Amino acid sequence: MSVQKACVIGAGVMGASIAAHIANAGIPVLLLDIAAKEGDKTAITKAAIDKLLKADPAPLMHKDAAKLITPGNLDDDLAKVADCDWIVEAIVENLEIKRGLYAKLESLKQPDAVVSSNTSTIPLHYLIEGRSENFRKTFMITHFFNPPRYMRLLELVGGVETDPVALARIEAFCDHSLGKGVVPCKDTPGFIANRIGTYWIQVAVNEAIDLGLSVEEADAVGGRPMGIPKTGVFGLIDLVGLDLMPLIAKSMKSVLPPTDDFIRTNIQHPLLDKMIADGYTGRKGKGGFYRLNAVDGKKIKEAIDLATGEYRAAQKPHPEALERAGKSLKALVTDPSPHGEFARRVLVQTLGYTASLVPEIADTITAVDDAMRLGYNWSFGPFELIDQVGADWLAAEIAAKGLPVPKLLDIAKGKSFYRLESGVLEYLGTDGTYHPVTRRPGVLLLADIKRNAQPVLKNASASVWDIGDGVLCFEFTSKMNSLDNDIMALLMKTVQTIPAKGYKGLVIYNEGTNFSVGANLGLALFAANIALWPAIEELVEGGQKTYKALKYAPFPVVGAPSGMALGGGCEILLHCDAVQAHAETYTGLVEVGVGIIPGWGGCKEMLQRWLSVKRRPGGPMPAIGKAFETISTAQVSKSAHLAKELLYLRPDDGITMNRNRLLADAKAKVLALAEGYKAPEEFEFRLPGPSAKLALDMAVDGAAGAGKATPHDVTVSKTLADVLTGGPNGDVTIALKEDDILALERANFMRLVKNPKSLARMEHMLDSGKPLRN
Amino acid sequence: MATYAAPLREIRFVLNEVLNAEQLSKLPGYEDATPDLFDAVLEEAAKLCVNELLPLNLSGDKEGCHYENGVVRTPAGFKEAYTKFIDGGWTSLSCDPDFGGQGMPHLLELVVQELICSCNISFGMYPGLSHGAYNALAQHGTDELKQRYLPKIVDGTWSGTMCLTEPHCGTDLGLMRSKAEPRGDGSYAISGTKIFISAGEQDLTENIIHLVLAKLPDAPPGVKGISLFVVPKFLPNEDGTPGIRNGVMCGSIEHKMGIKANSTCVMNFEGAQGWLIGEAHKGMRCMFTMMNAARLGVGMQGLGLSEISYQTAAAYAKDRRQMRSLDPKKQDHTASADPIIVHPDVRRMLMTMRANTEACRALAYWVGMLLDISHKHPDPEKRLEADDLVALLTPIVKAYLTDHGFNAANLAVQVHGGHGYIHDYGVEQFVRDARITQIYEGTNGIQALDLVGRKMPQNMGRLMRRFFHPVSAYLETQMENPNMLEFLGPLAKAFGKLQMATATVAQKAFARPEEAGAASSDYLRLFSLVALGYMWAQMAEVALKKVESDDKAFYEAKLINARFFMQKLLPEHGALFVNIMAGGKVLMELPAEAF
Repeated sequence: MSVQKACVIGAGVMGASIAAHIANAGIPVLLLDIAAKEGDKTAITKAAIDKLLKADPAPLMHKDAAKLITPGNLDDDLAKVADCDWIVEAIVENLEIKRGLYAKLESLKQPDAVVSSNTSTIPLHYLIEGRSENFRKTFMITHFFNPPRYMRLLELVGGVETDPVALARIEAFCDHSLGKGVVPCKDTPGFIANRIGTYWIQVAVNEAIDLGLSVEEADAVGGRPMGIPKTGVFGLIDLVGLDLMPLIAKSMKSVLPPTDDFIRTNIQHPLLDKMIADGYTGRKGKGGFYRLNAVDGKKIKEAIDLATGEYRAAQKPHPEALERAGKSLKALVTDPSPHGEFARRVLVQTLGYTASLVPEIADTITAVDDAMRLGYNWSFGPFELIDQVGADWLAAEIAAKGLPVPKLLDIAKGKSFYRLESGVLEYLGTDGTYHPVTRRPGVLLLADIKRNAQPVLKNASASVWDIGDGVLCFEFTSKMNSLDNDIMALLMKTVQTIPAKGYKGLVIYNEGTNFSVGANLGLALFAANIALWPAIEELVEGGQKTYKALKYAPFPVVGAPSGMALGGGCEILLHCDAVQAHAETYTGLVEVGVGIIPGWGGCKEMLQRWLSVKRRPGGPMPAIGKAFETISTAQVSKSAHLAKELLYLRPDDGITMNRNRLLADAKAKVLALAEGYKAPEEFEFRLPGPSAKLALDMAVDGAAGAGKATPHDVTVSKTLADVLTGGPNGDVTIALKEDDILALERANFMRLVKNPKSLARMEHMLDSGKPLRN
Repeated sequence: MATYAAPLREIRFVLNEVLNAEQLSKLPGYEDATPDLFDAVLEEAAKLCVNELLPLNLSGDKEGCHYENGVVRTPAGFKEAYTKFIDGGWTSLSCDPDFGGQGMPHLLELVVQELICSCNISFGMYPGLSHGAYNALAQHGTDELKQRYLPKIVDGTWSGTMCLTEPHCGTDLGLMRSKAEPRGDGSYAISGTKIFISAGEQDLTENIIHLVLAKLPDAPPGVKGISLFVVPKFLPNEDGTPGIRNGVMCGSIEHKMGIKANSTCVMNFEGAQGWLIGEAHKGMRCMFTMMNAARLGVGMQGLGLSEISYQTAAAYAKDRRQMRSLDPKKQDHTASADPIIVHPDVRRMLMTMRANTEACRALAYWVGMLLDISHKHPDPEKRLEADDLVALLTPIVKAYLTDHGFNAANLAVQVHGGHGYIHDYGVEQFVRDARITQIYEGTNGIQALDLVGRKMPQNMGRLMRRFFHPVSAYLETQMENPNMLEFLGPLAKAFGKLQMATATVAQKAFARPEEAGAASSDYLRLFSLVALGYMWAQMAEVALKKVESDDKAFYEAKLINARFFMQKLLPEHGALFVNIMAGGKVLMELPAEAF
């Protein structure tokens, strides 16, 4: 039995966002908070829902999801928890208030309904004191990270009495439906991520101040190769709020033993205290370690001087230690410069502390590494970092300071924490032996497959893997997964290989941050700059042919995107038989931003999709208008759900909440489609031609007149209009084939790519990452 | 003997008929720069060069400069010629009227430089370097420095130098050791030794203004820690006259292969007082201002030498009689032998010189005109476009024109046979004088690296676009003209190869910078040939329209030269292409110890 209806109590930022994310999963959720003293008693939760709809980044994947959230107040509506099988408590971190609430819930909830707390620091055994046996058996901690939609970590803590069945039920729900990376934790202060994360932050602040480093320098060293998030430690504090730091520290200190190294490293810094007192609490306050300051009408990024406490223009330091170290963490921590010293002190303390906490806070090192990667966005978990510098080096550094070497480092002496044994990744257990890193049932990761196999096909920009049961997986391996000639060539080869070798179908999938942000723009711009027109046209035509071959291949093709799928990355999905998308898929045809139009069949496919919508009145014009609007404004979906609205995804395309389950779901989809698979029939387009183009042109001119379109927007939009209306010879009485539309796409693409204003857009995009509004 | 008449008809052809240089007079500030004014200035320049400078060329080479106790004496006649030069206002031609200049376009300055360099490159370097110093001061100096130095540099009573090179640092300025210590009064004490300083000391001007690169005490390492200073030989008095002697002395002069009449000095700075130009540590940026102008100037030296080499060789070939024509019909039986110009191989040499020189002139003047557009055009887009092209084509003008200058001088010796080897004939001097132009202001190898390593990838090829798009469009539109096909066919072919080579080099260089280095010189030459072909196509286009005019012989000659270039010179691109595509692996295979 899964969760059919949930309740979240506490409509603060965390509580409301958790409710939103449960609604994202399609589950109705009751959101409760205290009754307002005047007027509408439910005003607090109603306001919280309104805020959800406006917040950025959006906690909701889809505005309609808000309708699944029912607002209520604790005076009138608490009894409704009787309908809920999961009750999440996310109220103020006050033991007595929580206990008071639990006492009420105890008598109202169904016996098998689970109550969980979102507490960050209060141990579970304190929370359940005085509760009934049923309550104790169905109580657990589900610790979300902020913002809950986007942070993948969920720490799950069961008590000694918690019913394993209840625990498994919530774990399964959070994993499958909420898409979280669930890490089982022990009932210890701060669990895993905050225990290590807050320690790391305070150590980094201490050492930066002690070594006289600037905040920019400290943050630069924190990035690659340390892999501690790109904001750096000071940027991260700004993000979470300076004022939160002493609160967390206070709460941690109240529950940690005085010998814990957290206490030793918890040092008061007068500057930080003053910043908090003066309201410089970070991004939500007047600024933090960094701020944007308006000087002469321009926004200037400033950073605080840790010595004087004054703001000054932010610098972009390029510490030579980083240059010398390259990607080698070992080289960085052994660099004699102050930057190397900073990296060394921070890592030795943080990694040493972490090593001393296993098995106290978690049974396995994998749980710790998972928690830090998913909850603090570290590129590497702490034990992966230890492997990079060497467990023995770390032990020697700790010993050199006269400190006790953690037992786990003794166990790891002469070994690494991870190893690859005949293609299987193994981790070192606290028993001193290696165990395979296992995945939850149903999780299929390409990374695991790749460790133990050779690609079926491969070239410089892509690989094809056998993922079992007759299904192949096409993986982009180019820089940033950009699409190029090599990818097109290997796709063509794959289309031939699958029937020839008796495979059943294909998944297009990869485990990069982004599925693909489209064609290699730099390469295209360079080719355009040297007037290599035939080569560019060949690239366009090659892509069109390849994508069309995918569409009409005699086997099912399922696209499985996650992250950004833009431009050509969106077009390949449009040509798949079906898509199984990760919920966090941001897709769109963004070509106009760089002054061109989709040239790999994107215009054609969007036309086909809108023209195929049933019960569409008024001839082809409304469909053309929809495709035109979507492409000419470069709309990008902010979730997979929203992609369906834009028809980038079909209504029956699948959505997977958990990133780690995407490949398995996509593979299942291929296998389902493979039964009696028939390639689709060619679509015939009947398009109205110049008269319709005139109407679109007028709309464009209107937008330009209203100041909503720049001169080059007008050029690009009118060129797009030409394609979508069937070109100068378009006529509703004439059926156009796909190849006719492709020819139109190509000719108009070539026209635009020769335009200096389009080239200026591409150049600007490559330079600044932002579109040029010329 | 050196034979030379200023090629004014050729110059007018390029300026007025091919480039339409009259367009410059539409730019604000250049209203006076009409073709008539250009003509008048060039007529005068031609007289000065032919009558005053050319006669001193051979004698100056023979005599050389004299050094004694820190004093340098230029060869006989130079001082008098320099006086005439500044009296004629030639140092101020393109300078800012605010400082006494005439405000003429840089293009006109470049054309005059060509004439000077044909007649006496050693002489031309004295005012030439002053002009480099003028540019750097005018663009980066404070108002006070400008007021103090520029009027005197502009009127030629003072000269300027560029002090970059040190004994251990030539191309790699990051290794620089010269130091600048703040004196506490806003000025600096400069110490160090500079070598190869052209015109570092001479007896032509009453003061010499050195622009010196040195490092401040807090300088970051490498080229990012170099600052530029102005260091006068005599510290100017308040009234603008030269005052007390500054701590800079010429230690000796070099005895060298060519340009013997120009002093090449070792300059010792011993706590010399200097003033910062531009920002601290940003000296390289200021230096590049003069360097780009200087590189175009060196290109003009190559062009000037190739022109006089051609004229001298052509005159000799028409005069010298040896052997009989291979075609009996062409034999002159009134004499015992035919002029050597009847021989195909002599013609091969003459045509090679001429077809290259004429296209080089068109290319150089085009860049000169773009330089003016980049400064003066009211539309910022046009300025950027022109600036991009100047940046792209500067290494090509510098390297190709100087390579050609040397080759042309060498061919002139060959046409002369044994006499070419004799000093009194004057042509061997051209070879020696031309040789340095391939080396200084960044060796031609450095130019090739600049093209491939900096100009090519800059803004993902935006600079390249400024050349490739017009050529591509030109080919497309002109293809409709059947008379142009014989010129466009070969050009289109070479252009296609250049595109492919560009894409290949850019891609390879991305993965392995060594590949770009290996391809660079061949690539620069390939690019140059295409650029010259583009110039020839445009010249042929003009000639085709005018060939039936009164000046028929002139335009027919143009068409023949265009044809020669397309048939006999441009095909070299094929070999270069093959060479580039072969990659650089074989270059790097032999271990250093095996050399």
